[in-house]
Formats: sequence, C-alpha cells, structure tokens
Amino acid sequence: MSLLTIQPPVRALARKELRELRRHRMIVLTATILPVAFLVLPVLNLLFYDPARAIGGPDFAVGQAMFCFFLAPVIMPATMAAYGIIGERDQGTLEPLLTLPLSDRQLLVGKVVAILVPTLAASFGIFILYMAIVAAVVEPPVRGPALDPAWPLGMLVAAPLLALFSTLTGLFFSARSKDVRIAEHLSGLILLPSMLPVLLVVTRTIEPTLAAWATMAGVLAAIDAALWRVVVRAFDRERAISTI
Amino acid sequence: MKGAGPAIECDAVSRRFGERLALDRLTLTVERGEILGLLGPNGSGKTTTVRILATLLQPHGGAARILSWDVARQPMEVRRSIGVMPERPSLYDRQTVEANVRFWAEAHELPDPGTAVARALAFAGVADRQADLVGSLSKGLKQRVALARAIVHRPPVLLLDEPSSGLDPSAAAAMESLVRDLAREGTAILLNTHRLAEAERLCDRVAILREGRLVQVGTPRQVRAALLGHIVEVELAGVVDAPVRRAIESFPAVREVWWSASAVRCRLLDAERDTPDLVARLVSAGARIVAVRPAGDLERAYLELMSQPLPGSLAA
Repeated sequence: MSLLTIQPPVRALARKELRELRRHRMIVLTATILPVAFLVLPVLNLLFYDPARAIGGPDFAVGQAMFCFFLAPVIMPATMAAYGIIGERDQGTLEPLLTLPLSDRQLLVGKVVAILVPTLAASFGIFILYMAIVAAVVEPPVRGPALDPAWPLGMLVAAPLLALFSTLTGLFFSARSKDVRIAEHLSGLILLPSMLPVLLVVTRTIEPTLAAWATMAGVLAAIDAALWRVVVRAFDRERAISTI
Repeated sequence: MKGAGPAIECDAVSRRFGERLALDRLTLTVERGEILGLLGPNGSGKTTTVRILATLLQPHGGAARILSWDVARQPMEVRRSIGVMPERPSLYDRQTVEANVRFWAEAHELPDPGTAVARALAFAGVADRQADLVGSLSKGLKQRVALARAIVHRPPVLLLDEPSSGLDPSAAAAMESLVRDLAREGTAILLNTHRLAEAERLCDRVAILREGRLVQVGTPRQVRAALLGHIVEVELAGVVDAPVRRAIESFPAVREVWWSASAVRCRLLDAERDTPDLVARLVSAGARIVAVRPAGDLERAYLELMSQPLPGSLAA
C-alpha cells in the first residue's frame, strides 16, 4: 500500500474523504479533543512530577505519558474508520460511489489514506509539541527519561503501524456491520487489548531498545498485512449496499 | 466506445434474493440515443435491473452488457461507460456543489476536470450555485447536481432511477428537458420511473416489468394500442350527422364504433396506420374536427395490464 499505488482515482477519493471528514462535526470534535487531551495530560503529569508523592519513579511517569502518545494513533482513526463504509451507506452515497471506476482495493486504499493522514499528522504533531515542551520547561529527574531517543524512535516505527491496525479494524467492522455505532463498539473491543505490547514497553517491562521496537514493528507489519487481506475479502459490494 | 451493438443489452438476465426470483430472464436492449422507460410496480425488478447494469449486483443467470462490456466480467470498463443517477440525489451534503461534481470528474481521470465540471454544471443549470453547500439546496436543485455529476464524464450510457421523483411540476419538466437533450446527443438512457405521464412524453419505448418479468414493451403508442385496443377518439365541432356516420361505417379499418353527441370513438385495425385515413374521410364528409386522440393514455394501459393475470415473459 505504498504511495506508488495511489493512482489518480484513489487520490480523488482520499481528497473527497478528507473534505468530508473536515466537515463532519462529530469527527472534527473527536479529532480535536483527543489530541489536546493526549497532549495536555502527559505534559501536566511531567510538569508537576513530585518524587515524594509519585507512584513509581521517573521512568514510570514518562511511561504513562508515552502511553497517551501511542494510544492516540489507535483511538483517533476508530471513529473515522467505523464511519468509512457504513457511514456512506447511511447517508445514501455508497451506491453511486460504487459505480465509480474504482476496484475494491482502490476504494479501501483511498479510505485508509484519508484516515491515516490526519491521524498521523495529529499524533506526530502532539508528540513533537510534547518533546518541545519537555525540552523547554520540564526539570530533572523526569527530563532525562522523557527525552530518551528511544521514544521518538518508537513513535516513528510504531505509530503508523498502530494507526493502520486501528484503521483496518474499523474498516473491517464498517464493511460488515449495519450500524456505525456497532462498528465503533466492535472495533473498540479489538483495539484496546492490542495495546498490551505497547503497555509492556512503556512500563519498561520490556526495555524500549532498538531491538524491541524492531520486533514490535515486524509483528505489527505482519498483522497489518494479514488484516488488509481480511478487509479486502470482507468488503462485499452487494452486502455493503444491502440494508438487511 | 466499444462495438456497434446496442448500448444496453440484457440477455435473459435473472437474479434471486434468497428464494425470491427478483428478475426472471429479462431480455431487453437500448440503442444509442434512445430513452427506454422501465415501468412496473414496486418490487417488479426495476431497481434490480438498474443495479445489475450499474455493476452493483451480479446477475445469477444470463448476461448484461453495456457497450458490449459484460457487467459481471468487465465491471471497470462498464463503470467508465455509465453515469448513474439514483432516486435519492445521494450527494455529499457537507461539500459544495463544485466539490461533489469535481470528485466524480477526478475519479474518472478526466484530463481537464475543471472544464468538465463547469460544462456539466452549466448543462444542469446549477453553475451559479457551484460554491453552495449541497445540504443548503432544494430537492430540485440537488437532482440537477446529481445529474451534473452523472454526466460529468460524458458517459454514453445513463441509468436514471426516478430522476424527477419528488420534484414540483416545473422542476420535473426541466429535468425532462435535460434528459431529452442528452438523448439527442446520442446518450442511451434507461429511465426507471413510476411517473407514467412522464414516460409517455419522454420515452421512445417503454418496458413494463411485473414480478421480475418483462410483460409489455414498445413505443408508448404501441403499448397503449396493445392493451387498450386501437381506439381513437374524434371530437367534432358540432353534432355527429349522417354523412359523418356513413363515412365511419363504410371505412373498412373500423372494427367497432361508440357514438356520442359530438364525438365518436372507433376501434381501428391499426390506430397508427389507419387514423390519418379516418381523419381524411371525416373531413371529406364535412366534419369539422376539434381533436383526434388515442383513447386512454399510458397510465390507463398500465393499470389495464396490472389488472390482468400475469402473462409469460417477452423480449424487447
């Protein structure tokens, strides 16, 4: 699913999706509030870190903060992806959309790209802001662990793959459900347990080394590739337009 | 444009939904520049036909082709050749008119989408609303935008599902005029409609479906004649006098006559062929004719057909 496969009709679809997402009040609200919360809470946590009262050491506090940044690319696409297919059907636009010269794969790539672009922009945006704030104002003892290069590396490697996982899961349920809320709830059930490996790293149960990130990236990439095949197979035009 | 055959071709197309046979060996063709009206009650298979031709449903039997492309085996080629206008405008309400149509132009990889969009919006008469959000438009304007979207890539085949549904009479008339212009430019149009008067005015031929079967097909005049008999009504500017009676009774093509004070209804052998001769005879007999019209309209013919037991399938 590289940029090379983004042909003009897919680009057109992705652009349409981005315009649509921008004007969807619920999605805009979710995409605004969540990143703000995911930025403000970790920053406050580190700014007001008090070794005397903190549970766990500085590493634990930084781990808590980092969990928010890994959670953002998983949570943010969920609503957009759940809306992807079933939302089009609910507003009556799916039938004409399916008469466009787009294959199933092209249609899904367009949807995925349109969800990943704002998700990754927001996820990296808040992470960069967080790092800048930490570098500017956070004092030791949390400053050192917070600026550990392992975290930017982890974000760079894991965030896109986690976002893709969340997007594909949402699209799978969107293609198979008859209601946006059901699609959202079902993808939520799958997504939260999937955060367990990240939890192990941010709590330093597994040290965030290059090898740990590489392993996690490999596993996530394999899962994403398998999930992509499942989503393509699950997307059935006749089923998608059926209201039964 | 591929091939020289019909623009739309259904060859014994069948489709089931579970146990229910929604379409039963439907055979019909639509030529380039022709408007074929697909009529029938709810559940008769009209929408299923349109969906099969639009590659949204697979036929379970037979073959459907658009410009000789098979809808099941060559769906991408079919999608490039068709414009579809669903019953609901099905537009993106939160986006502008221009953005809605531009998306279609870009998805069809048009070399100059800006010009194509401008041309389509001008044709549909909504160029001055291009910056408006679709959600702020009336139903009539939305239908026009949906038509502009359907024709932005100049498809040789148009599938229209109730294009004037819910429109006021003047908006419906404007939509009819747009559809007629498209056919004049050579577009083959399959028009799915419940509005029989509209079908009678607009369609070159009509095909009537019932319980998934094609039960009647032909020009509106042929369908009327087949179902109501070849009856014409002649209205005179005065009472029916003896020379007029003699002129009618001596005309060999007249099978049956009903008289009234200043009008006469005749069942002819072939209304299309014999009406001019009947009129000529009446004028020769001194009759002053106010109007000559077929008795009954397509709507009456349709209702007559629906009251009859279900006959076998036809081919159009």
